[in-house]
Amino acid sequence: MTVVVTAADSEPVAAASVKRRPRPAGWWAVVPLLAFVAIAFGLPAVAMLNGAFTVKDQATGATSYTTANLTASVQGAYMTAILGSVKLSAVSAGLAALLGLPLAQAVVTSRFTALREAVLTASGVLANFGGVPLAFAFVATLGNSGVLTRQFGLADKGWDLYSFWGLVIVYLYFLIPLMVLTITPALDGLRVQWREAARNNGATSLQYWLHVALPVLAPSLLGGLVLLFGSAFAAYATAAAMVGSSIPLVTLQIADAISGNVLVGQENVALALSLDMVLIAGLVMAVYLPLQRRSARWLA
Amino acid sequence: MAGLNAGHLNRGRSNLWRWGVLACAGLYFLVPLAASVLFTVDVPGQGYTFDAYTQILGTEGFVTSLLLSLELAAATIAIVLLLMVPAMVALRLAAPGLRPVVEVVCALPLVVPPIAFVAGLGTVLKWGPEHLSRTPLFQTFVAIQNPDFPFVLVLAYVVMALPFVYRALDAGLRAMDVRTLVEAARSCGANWPQALVRAVLPNLRGALLNSSFLTLALVLGEFTVAQLLGFRPFAVWIVNVSGSQAQLSVAVSVLSLLVTWAMLLALASFGGRPRTASAARG
Amino acid sequence: MTALEKTAVETGMKTGTKTGTKTGMKTAVRTAMALDKAATVEFRGLRREFGTTVALDGLDLTVRPGELLALLGPSGCGKTTALRMLAGFEHPDSGEVLVDGDDVTRVPAHRRDAGMVFQSYSLFPHLSALDNVAFGLRMRKVRTAERRAAAAELLDLVGLADKGAQFPHQLSGGQQQRVALARALALRPRVLLLDEPLSALDAKVRLTLREEIRRLQRELGITTLFVTHDQEEALSMADRVAVMQAGRLEQCAPPAELYGRPATAFVAEFVGTMSRIPGRLDGTTVEVLGRRLPVDGPAPAATEVDVLVRPEAVAVRADDTGDAQVIATAFLGAAIRVTVRLADGTEVKADLPTHEAATLGAGAPVTVSLPDRPVLVAERTH
Repeated sequence: MTVVVTAADSEPVAAASVKRRPRPAGWWAVVPLLAFVAIAFGLPAVAMLNGAFTVKDQATGATSYTTANLTASVQGAYMTAILGSVKLSAVSAGLAALLGLPLAQAVVTSRFTALREAVLTASGVLANFGGVPLAFAFVATLGNSGVLTRQFGLADKGWDLYSFWGLVIVYLYFLIPLMVLTITPALDGLRVQWREAARNNGATSLQYWLHVALPVLAPSLLGGLVLLFGSAFAAYATAAAMVGSSIPLVTLQIADAISGNVLVGQENVALALSLDMVLIAGLVMAVYLPLQRRSARWLA
Repeated sequence: MAGLNAGHLNRGRSNLWRWGVLACAGLYFLVPLAASVLFTVDVPGQGYTFDAYTQILGTEGFVTSLLLSLELAAATIAIVLLLMVPAMVALRLAAPGLRPVVEVVCALPLVVPPIAFVAGLGTVLKWGPEHLSRTPLFQTFVAIQNPDFPFVLVLAYVVMALPFVYRALDAGLRAMDVRTLVEAARSCGANWPQALVRAVLPNLRGALLNSSFLTLALVLGEFTVAQLLGFRPFAVWIVNVSGSQAQLSVAVSVLSLLVTWAMLLALASFGGRPRTASAARG
Repeated sequence: MTALEKTAVETGMKTGTKTGTKTGMKTAVRTAMALDKAATVEFRGLRREFGTTVALDGLDLTVRPGELLALLGPSGCGKTTALRMLAGFEHPDSGEVLVDGDDVTRVPAHRRDAGMVFQSYSLFPHLSALDNVAFGLRMRKVRTAERRAAAAELLDLVGLADKGAQFPHQLSGGQQQRVALARALALRPRVLLLDEPLSALDAKVRLTLREEIRRLQRELGITTLFVTHDQEEALSMADRVAVMQAGRLEQCAPPAELYGRPATAFVAEFVGTMSRIPGRLDGTTVEVLGRRLPVDGPAPAATEVDVLVRPEAVAVRADDTGDAQVIATAFLGAAIRVTVRLADGTEVKADLPTHEAATLGAGAPVTVSLPDRPVLVAERTH
């Protein structure tokens, strides 16, 4: 069969006509922003890097470069804290992703736009404005003298809010909304045509979810999971307001080391721990961004 | 027509599933709020009382810490918008080549958690007394740490707000084709500044509101940096006061959550809810 | 035997006529694809309401075996709803859909045996073109090698043999629709459904693909329903065109008949350009523009009527004493479309050969006349 392929047909994207326009010297408008970030963000970052690699001799006051801080930051109690943070973040992020997906789907497919707006707005509040208020709400609910604890005698049944699973329940309170916010655009991007095309090609509902919807959502789901992990990993205020330091978490350890609560002269180990955190968070972003890009291409 | 999709045969079943999910979610998210309210009004030994709420205003530190937080928020919003709006508009109009740079710069605070950021910031602040005590810079270091208005917190909050604001402004600008707008304004006889102020900014109102609100929420709720640098804005005050007055601190927490919620809903009805505020939690 | 034939046999579908002699792969594929007997589709009394809007108001229509029938009408006329009922995505409140005499109204969408091409963006974004085409075979658990071979042949059939490895976002709109067409044919459906498949493409691609679809449909001899709001598309492609309005069938006829002998005023004005000129009905003749012409078809009861005329039937002559006036001209290539305002204010469109119309500028006084032929008459609407 002869197929006439026209030029327009064979070009995936019509080249946007790039016209030369008279340009004002616009780049200067970006300079204040870059200068500000260089000072307000760059200086602390450099200080952290520098501090993480230096020790100060208490006697002479001389400083020298070393990897001793970093080594110390991945040993003993610090390592326990890092692992504790990773475990808490992984478990709560996984649970939040699992629970957030059906919630988001229920909201997205609802015919009531008011419900949708209310849930998404609430998610915006809870995902971003957790911290201290969130901690106290849970203390009042499930803490030792919390309403539910007293009402149902939970303390006698071994319930303790200030434990690993207690923290997981509290973290879910801001992680599930975060998942809803993250996955909603992806669910919106699932086209009706895909479901119908799949049905038309003989797929059952289950087959549609297995072979089309989930694979198409996979990058967004993974991306959301990674983002949730990062968010839980970096959280400090909630844990600090709730548990003090009874659960080993890396953010709590850094705070203790900075304020010299435990040992004096641990500031540079705190910086090394911070560097560990940045590395883990950087890794998280390195996984997240390509996933995000792929999902944007599919669901645009 | 395609939108009026049927499946009406199993609509009943799918609705049941949806309401089940929503009911579970509602339970999980509303119970702590309801319990908190109950906790504040039902004090053991005193019965029902609204003391926790009536005491709030009179409690030492409430007004000053809230005012401090609001002042910090105002300053942060002003600075972050002054820095970001010209830069973002310029990226669209004149310097698209710089876009990846700005994108990365604004995403950097996501990679550095607040606790790590404040660790670095604290180290820099110690340089003042240690190395710079005889230079004029020392005065600057002292000035920005004035407990009445710790400007250093504004610096930190601006950095932390960058990812939120970048996303909100980017979404706003993406929706409106700045180039055509400016060219249209110019062809109607407006000069450059007029085109920006009269044509671009009004259309950006939603995004500006969005950015401002997200920044406000961030500053009001921020605890990590303020606590570790030793200042006492609102969130730190709540924690400090909780040791002695549990009911009061919960009451304030609930109020602040609800007030934020109401403000966000008001904003949503203005048009454009704060989308993907998400990633910036840090 | 080609992979497609094998697949067809193994999946228990109707076997194609196995002529055996391979005169090149493409012929073999077509032989494999060609159907023993094309299907008849019947819509009987279909009714469907969405809330207060009536999408289908008792639609009766029969699609003959192997024909390409276009469903034409303004948006919201119910044409897409009818198509989606055949695909199983919509369910009628009453009435039934029959394929070869079997009532399929209650058959779920995934067992309808009707391949559908959607308006746009229906390709699965995470699958290559080849895997998109092979999707249906995968759902039927056909082995990987076989379904890939079958899909490759189908891609070849739509002229995209070399694009199998590309993903939808790497293909142009026209290519995507070709892949969608191949995918719709992959399960050897009894009916092919096209839901405005060309409307999202640019004009040039649309023309090429139009011819392509028509040729493929003829060769496969598959009964095809084609939904469109573009009358030119419908008239140029279809064996018969069904014009719909407000959920009802207005007329179903071959293109030439539809244009030349529209059954209703709606069809007359929806298909092609039509001008209305006021006239007085008197029995079986009508007085219009100073002459008396016989009425074509049944005449309405009223005396004050409009005569419906095509632009090519209207004669316009420059005349200094004429009481009509040219108000606009538009160059169409071989002809010029002249818009004339009559003395009573009525506007009439006429197509004149370019050389004749050269002297007729806007404002020129003219006389308008009709040829001595029966004319269509409709009740005056205003």
